[in-house]
Amino acid sequence: MNQDLIRVQIEQREDDVVVARLTGELDISVAEKTGRQIADAVPSPALGVVVDMSELEFMDSSGVSMLFSLARQVGSHRQQLRVVAPPGRPVSRVLQIVEFGRAAPVDDDVDSAVAEIATQRASQPPRG
Amino acid sequence: MRNLPGLFDVRVKARSIAYLFAAGATLGLLTLAFPHSEEVRDVPLIVLAGVAYVIAAVVWSGAERAREWHIHAALVSGTVIISLANYYAGPSTLYPLLYVWTALYAFYFFPLPEAAAQTAFLAVSYAVVLAVQDADMVVVRWLLAVGTPLLGGLLISQLLARLQRQARALSQSEERMRMVLDTAPDAFITLDRDGYITTWNVAAEQLFGWKKQEALGRTMRELIVPPEFRDRHDARRQALIDSDAPHATESYEVEFQRRDGIRFPGEATVSKVEASGEVFVSGFIADVTEQLRRQAEREALLREQAARAEAERVAELVGGMQALVDAALAQSNLAGILRDLVAQVRGVLDAGEAAIYLADESGRLSVGASTPGEHAGGEEFAARVAESRAAILGKDNSLIGVPLLAEGEVTGVLVAGAQPPREFSGEDLTLLRLAAERVGLAIAHARVYEREHRIAETLQRSLLPDRLPELPGLEVAARYLPAASEAEVGGDWYDVIPIAGGAVGLVMGDVAGKGLAGASMVGRLRSALRAYALEGHDGGLVVERLNRLLWTEAEESQMATMLYVIVDPAASTVRWVNAGHPPPLVIAGGKPRFLQGDASVPLGVLPFPTYDEVTAPMEPGDTLLLYTDGLVERPGEHLDEGLGQLAARVSEAPEDPQAFLDYLLDTLVPPGGAADDVALLTLRNLPVPEQFSAEFPAQPESLAPIRSMLRRWLSHAGADDLEIAEITTACGEAATNAIEHAGTGNGAHFEVSGRRDGPEVELAVRDHGSWRSEREDDHGRGLELMRTLMDTVAVVPGAEGTMVSLRRRLGQRGGDE
Repeated sequence: MNQDLIRVQIEQREDDVVVARLTGELDISVAEKTGRQIADAVPSPALGVVVDMSELEFMDSSGVSMLFSLARQVGSHRQQLRVVAPPGRPVSRVLQIVEFGRAAPVDDDVDSAVAEIATQRASQPPRG
Repeated sequence: MRNLPGLFDVRVKARSIAYLFAAGATLGLLTLAFPHSEEVRDVPLIVLAGVAYVIAAVVWSGAERAREWHIHAALVSGTVIISLANYYAGPSTLYPLLYVWTALYAFYFFPLPEAAAQTAFLAVSYAVVLAVQDADMVVVRWLLAVGTPLLGGLLISQLLARLQRQARALSQSEERMRMVLDTAPDAFITLDRDGYITTWNVAAEQLFGWKKQEALGRTMRELIVPPEFRDRHDARRQALIDSDAPHATESYEVEFQRRDGIRFPGEATVSKVEASGEVFVSGFIADVTEQLRRQAEREALLREQAARAEAERVAELVGGMQALVDAALAQSNLAGILRDLVAQVRGVLDAGEAAIYLADESGRLSVGASTPGEHAGGEEFAARVAESRAAILGKDNSLIGVPLLAEGEVTGVLVAGAQPPREFSGEDLTLLRLAAERVGLAIAHARVYEREHRIAETLQRSLLPDRLPELPGLEVAARYLPAASEAEVGGDWYDVIPIAGGAVGLVMGDVAGKGLAGASMVGRLRSALRAYALEGHDGGLVVERLNRLLWTEAEESQMATMLYVIVDPAASTVRWVNAGHPPPLVIAGGKPRFLQGDASVPLGVLPFPTYDEVTAPMEPGDTLLLYTDGLVERPGEHLDEGLGQLAARVSEAPEDPQAFLDYLLDTLVPPGGAADDVALLTLRNLPVPEQFSAEFPAQPESLAPIRSMLRRWLSHAGADDLEIAEITTACGEAATNAIEHAGTGNGAHFEVSGRRDGPEVELAVRDHGSWRSEREDDHGRGLELMRTLMDTVAVVPGAEGTMVSLRRRLGQRGGDE
């Protein structure tokens, strides 16, 4: 039944950005698997990944751990991670408390997060 | 032959009187030729004779036109002439004798009174003559002259009367005979000895179409005997005439021919008649067409009765088989069919044992059903039958076997054995083959059906949740009752889906298709709905997407009614989307209330219908009921009646969800079972206690239910949405720690409890392990979250385990960051 707790939808944007939209609840029963699912969905040529948590109902510290771990993985591929969590939502409160902003930027909406990653690419030379 | 005038025809009278005048005149003249007395005056007598000749000539020539009074006048004139002749001849002559002729004529030809009148005139005339003549012996002369003819006339009159009576009697008799013959139903014909028709009655006219006047004088041979029978007719007729017996009678059944050429069968009864020296043949002829027809009918009837008796005998024999075939075609239960078949075969063939072997896909035979006991050599024999693909006898004709064929394949073998051994007949073989032909296909169908049914049922069962999720604060129960007929697996389904945020989605649907197709569509809808529901869409959108799925992917035009209901215990609401399904029912305070409004079309009807979510309150203590139409639809009843009954039963049903559903099934489903499948799903929003304490398995899967329970309880305790989220998160961290510490050992549990303490809520999580400050990859973030989100966090280690106590005051932290 816990497979039903959370749902991950992957969307490949035109500008080489992967958007992972999470719905449902993210706790320790699904955290590890969800992290793996997102990491697997990011191909190496991609510039980065946006984890959209604006529709996520619940996230606890295991979700936070998953995000930290994801940030490390993405960074090791010289890719970027951005998290979308609009203020006022339970998830953004949790991210605030654990100061997740130190690991990766937190945005208010998906489009600006995607735009940020695309902008970063424009300022960088293309990788071989 | 011409008809002769009758004896008293006026022409006869006229001619007779003419002879009389001529004869009288001649007689008078002859007397003059002999020597006679001087007193005889010759000249007047000669004149009188001349007058008499003239009258005779006139009457003779006018005989054809004569009238009765002419004759009387002539007779009177005759009397006058005779009287004058007597006067001129004188008393010495015998002229008075001429009066005798007159009187005799009168009595002969006229009725008695008229004859008497003529005689009286005669008497007077002669009296006058005698008086004038002055003769002697006047009286004697008068008496002689008048009395003699009078006596003679009277005698003649008597004689004639008798003759007339006889003649009349004879003519009446002939007339009666004629009438009898004419009214006779049968044709009556007489032939003279040469074969010419002499009698032809009315019936003969009607029967043959020839009129009497046309038939008389012609031969029967040419008139009514068909050409090919004419020689035979002649021979028979001649034989009859030549026979010695005077009244030989014979009867023939022969064919006759009508005037219009139509032939008919007739019965002729012919007799030889000898009368007054004449020999002729008389015959009655009757049309026996109708008689033959009736006879044929009777014979046909008898034949039919005989045939029916035979048919009934056979029918009785085949009847058992037939009944079985019908049952086989109607039934879907293969085992039942086979059992019946074996019993019937045994009964009908009076066999001691019978068995049906069914072939599997590789053609191997195994016993499908058999009469109890040993079956010596049965299997071997069955294999032989299957191989020969024909009905055969075996083991000295004491075994009989036929293959069951379906679309050319041997699907089984039907075997019967006589016990004690006797010989089966060819008829038995035919009978069994007949039964096998009919049953073969039915069995094949039943096997296919059974397999499909089994698959569909299994599939459907697998699609229904085998265990309903345990939802904190909620109790759910479900029932699925297949239709009584077991004809096909229905397309009913239900589901319970816990949704993020503590809500629960309830689904009740009914796919129109049955069998495999229906079940597989249920499967697709079910998994699609689960996916859509978890994506967090609102109910309306979820149902719209399901409709899209059904519209685009169903092979045929499939349809489904469906209810998607989201119960949110934390918000004390129920939201629902109705796609053409009977309305859900909420029981609040014992009072039933249908959730009406905004029911839209079933799925699969329109490409882009709109489904809207409707919201209603659902307080703790309320019960929700979803059902399929099998519960409320009864043949011949309006749906409203069924809904009314449901509402009535619901209001008197027990509260406990399991008992509640059992009660509804007991009271609403007919004793023999429902006509359609019935699915029931109920959810009870349990009353929220002031404080709670619950045990959970030490597994990550316990976390979601704990959050659901907490949200509901906190909501009831008066927490706002943010407080609920934060307190739930903090408590979740404590529970996650408890799970981690308890290890994954079997039967490890931990306890969550909560209570209100004035404006504060206090939650406690107790485990049975040892406390560790940090989880492996936690980096202290769990504890950090707890401390930040709650007012106080106390960790109390103990001998039995560790307790984490979390407290927070509600309504205090507006915008606290």
